[in-house]
Amino acid sequence: MSITSARGVAFASAVAVIALASQAQAQQNNNPLPPGDGRDIVSVACSQCHYLGTIAKIRDGAAGWRVYVSNMVLRGAQLTPAEVDKVVNYLATNLGPGINLPPPRPVALPDGSGKQLVETRCALCHDLERVAAVKRKKQDWTPIVANMAAWGAPVTADEAKTITNYLAANFGD
Amino acid sequence: MKQLIKDYLDQGLSRRQLVSGLSAFGMSTVAAKAVAQNLAPLGPGAGQAASPPQAPSAVREIEGNGGKLFVEQLKSAGVEYIFFNPSTGDHPIFDALVDLPEIKIIKGIQEGAVTAMADGYARASGRTGIVVVANIGLPNAMTQMVNTFKDQIPMLVAVASVGQNELGRDQWQEVDHHELMTEPITKWFWQAQSTEAMAETTRRALKFASTPPCGPVFLSLPTNTLEQHAKTQVWERSKFDVPMRIRPDKEDVEKAARMLIEAKNPLLSVGDEITWCRGEKELIELAELLGAPVAGEAGSLGYWSKPFPTRHPLYIGTVLRTMRFPGKPDVLLNLGNRWGENASPGTKLISIRLDPTSLAREAPVDLAMVADLKLAMADLSAAIRSMATASLLKDIANKRAERARAYAAQMQQEREAIAHALTDSTPISMERLGLELEKNLDRDTCYVADVDSGKTMDPLMAFGGGDKQYFGTGPNVLGWGMAAGFGVKLARPDVPVVSVVGDGSFLFSGPQPLWSMARYKAPVTVIVLNNHSYNNERNRIWNGAGRQFEAARDMTCYNGSPDVDFAKTAEAFGVEGETVKEPASLAGAFSRAKAAMVEGRPYLLDIHIKREGLGAVSDWYPPYSIADLRTRKV
Ligand code: HEC
Ligand code: HEC
Ligand SMILES: Cc1ncc(C[n+]2csc(CCOP(=O)(O)OP(=O)(O)O)c2C)c(N)n1
Ligand SMILES: [Mg+2]
Repeated sequence: MSITSARGVAFASAVAVIALASQAQAQQNNNPLPPGDGRDIVSVACSQCHYLGTIAKIRDGAAGWRVYVSNMVLRGAQLTPAEVDKVVNYLATNLGPGINLPPPRPVALPDGSGKQLVETRCALCHDLERVAAVKRKKQDWTPIVANMAAWGAPVTADEAKTITNYLAANFGD
Repeated sequence: MKQLIKDYLDQGLSRRQLVSGLSAFGMSTVAAKAVAQNLAPLGPGAGQAASPPQAPSAVREIEGNGGKLFVEQLKSAGVEYIFFNPSTGDHPIFDALVDLPEIKIIKGIQEGAVTAMADGYARASGRTGIVVVANIGLPNAMTQMVNTFKDQIPMLVAVASVGQNELGRDQWQEVDHHELMTEPITKWFWQAQSTEAMAETTRRALKFASTPPCGPVFLSLPTNTLEQHAKTQVWERSKFDVPMRIRPDKEDVEKAARMLIEAKNPLLSVGDEITWCRGEKELIELAELLGAPVAGEAGSLGYWSKPFPTRHPLYIGTVLRTMRFPGKPDVLLNLGNRWGENASPGTKLISIRLDPTSLAREAPVDLAMVADLKLAMADLSAAIRSMATASLLKDIANKRAERARAYAAQMQQEREAIAHALTDSTPISMERLGLELEKNLDRDTCYVADVDSGKTMDPLMAFGGGDKQYFGTGPNVLGWGMAAGFGVKLARPDVPVVSVVGDGSFLFSGPQPLWSMARYKAPVTVIVLNNHSYNNERNRIWNGAGRQFEAARDMTCYNGSPDVDFAKTAEAFGVEGETVKEPASLAGAFSRAKAAMVEGRPYLLDIHIKREGLGAVSDWYPPYSIADLRTRKV
């Protein structure tokens, strides 16, 4: 969203959100949302305050999407409960883990047990760049991977352990 | 435009010149005439509390030094408090106050806190906040003056400056023309020219501050003008601070009334000017008469008050550029809302504003009026009543209101359901905190909010009408909330005051406002909504889907390391406090805070809150260690 670039973050604001609605309108002609049942309502209800570009870049399961959409209702989005379900359904179906993924940013992971698991399970909602972005403290990987599993990453308990060990060994301090 | 009005009031301009001048600014002739007509004395000033008891004589001769003349003029104007932080040069002011117990002085230990205390006092009382701080501390004050200026709150900020003979000599702390620093954030600024003119200069400053649209004014008082003696008049407020409650043009009101009666799908958009004009009652009456849905504040910025009761059956929430409900309005009535002139093809826009300078500034307006909102809404209701029978009006209103009521009720239920689904997490969810606040705060609480993402709690609470009164700032210049809460409590000692600040906000003011709370025994509950983050800032940044979002690296917003202990900080300032980490502990903590307030003490709750939105899970930040940079262990 251009609030950061246009005016600097300090005054990026809900006011900017209003100003952005015109940008959002312009964007509707250039709608980044993939086709699917419910796209129309998302295009209208989610562009009243900000543009749709970020939504189109997020991948998440139904539970995760519901958190975002609920938060938007508290922020003022005009959606009835039935419409919320419809919106969440569209988002989870068309912007769910592994669906309609943009071409990945190439990230070369070091060899080791767990590499393949990370490549197949951890790039479904975001790039691997996110995983390999920075080193964490070794012990931080356990909660992060648990977090991802809770979020909807398709991993068994054993796989989570393998992934955690791999990440702690290669991206841990 | 302010210059024009000033010239008129100073009698340098004729009424005709004023009207043509205002027209040149793009104001309609009718509106310009209304301004001119209403610059004449009428009654008590808009947004002003009732005049203080009459002094024995309206005009008094006073002899004394400039400091004495300054405070005597303030006293005659009904000033009760000066918010201050001292400097050497302003001693004549405080010397004079030794023998003038009618004016009490309230000390703050940082100029931003001093200013925000005066600002909170002004918002809650309708009176002008008076600030005296050191000239070198002025930039500290200016951060908070931005809130005061943008929200058009009356304030007089004065500093003692270098004596006139020393001006321009590049003395230690002197910078040339320091008063110019305040230009973009004051309605008026001035350097006192002589002791003889001290009272007159002070009057002028007070008048400009409290003439709607109100705002801060700045006075630089050279030390010699404060120290030298003179004999001059001081005047009671009614003699110079003439009320400027503008009634709208009758024909325009009738036109608006007709449009609103005939409208198929009218919508009211309401803003802070209604609050300032104390027009809530008239607004409710008008909305109910029309049966029209009312939309208010948008998001976390732009608004400082809730002018319409948020639990009123006609309140439908935020003004959005395109409204799914009630659909595109055919008539949009903007009442005192700076952001409410939302014109789109097919909608007729009527805008009634206290502030002529931002009327019709961004969007084309079909019918514009400059007026006091309370008077305008009363006139509009009267005009509507005069144009149709009561039963016809009732029919029209009922039809319109039915949809709005159903929608508002449904959304209310939906928000609560959402919040209830999120109540048990640890750290505590914002939604849980919102529900607990709604349950635990007394209905007459003044709720002072200086928190960014925390504003998603607002829709879970009831404000306005008989419920909590909301105070915030439009521009969200943080570091305001605790000090403003103090000022609100000073203005309204008999109602509970709760100040909700983010961890970020707290650290912008620092703990300094707690010092004044402890010293003056201000029973205010401070709630630190501590999510260890600039949470909403990160939401906005990441919602732009830039590199930080892509790489999941929160470069700027994580605050949890070091993990500031706000309760301990409070303790260091003589304010009792506690940390709350579990949702189940909230109710007990609120009751301890209430008990402290009953006993006349401030209390702080550091409530650990869950971060929300994109990047919330991360507690990473770019790590640097200066200790590791060293080649010598020194
Ligand atoms: C009433 C205005 C409004 C509407 C309507 C709205 N949003 Fe938002 N949204 C916001 C605000 C405010 C933010 C916080 C960041 C910002 O200010 O840009 C935000 C942020 C987001 C984010 C970033 C997550 C975060 O909080 O960090 C996502 C994802 C999002 N919105 C999705 C949606 C979706 C999906 C819809 C439609 C169901 C929607 N929004 C409708 C106001 C709105
Ligand atoms: C179901 C979708 C999903 C899957 C699959 C997923 N993630 Fe995530 N990941 C997320 C979300 C959502 C976030 C948080 C997004 C945000 O807040 O920006 C995130 C954030 C992260 C972060 C940054 C968080 C931080 O603490 O800085 C890391 C690291 C991460 N994921 C690693 C992984 C790993 C490792 C896997 C594979 C086990 C994985 N992710 C699989 C959804 C997913
Ligand atoms: C004086 C000041 N400096 C910087 C900003 C920019 N800013 C906007 S929101 C924000 C973070 C607010 O953090 P916090 O008070 O903790 O609120 P949260 O969003 O976490 O609830 C900042 C730094 C500001 N508004 N005011
Ligand atoms: Mg915070």
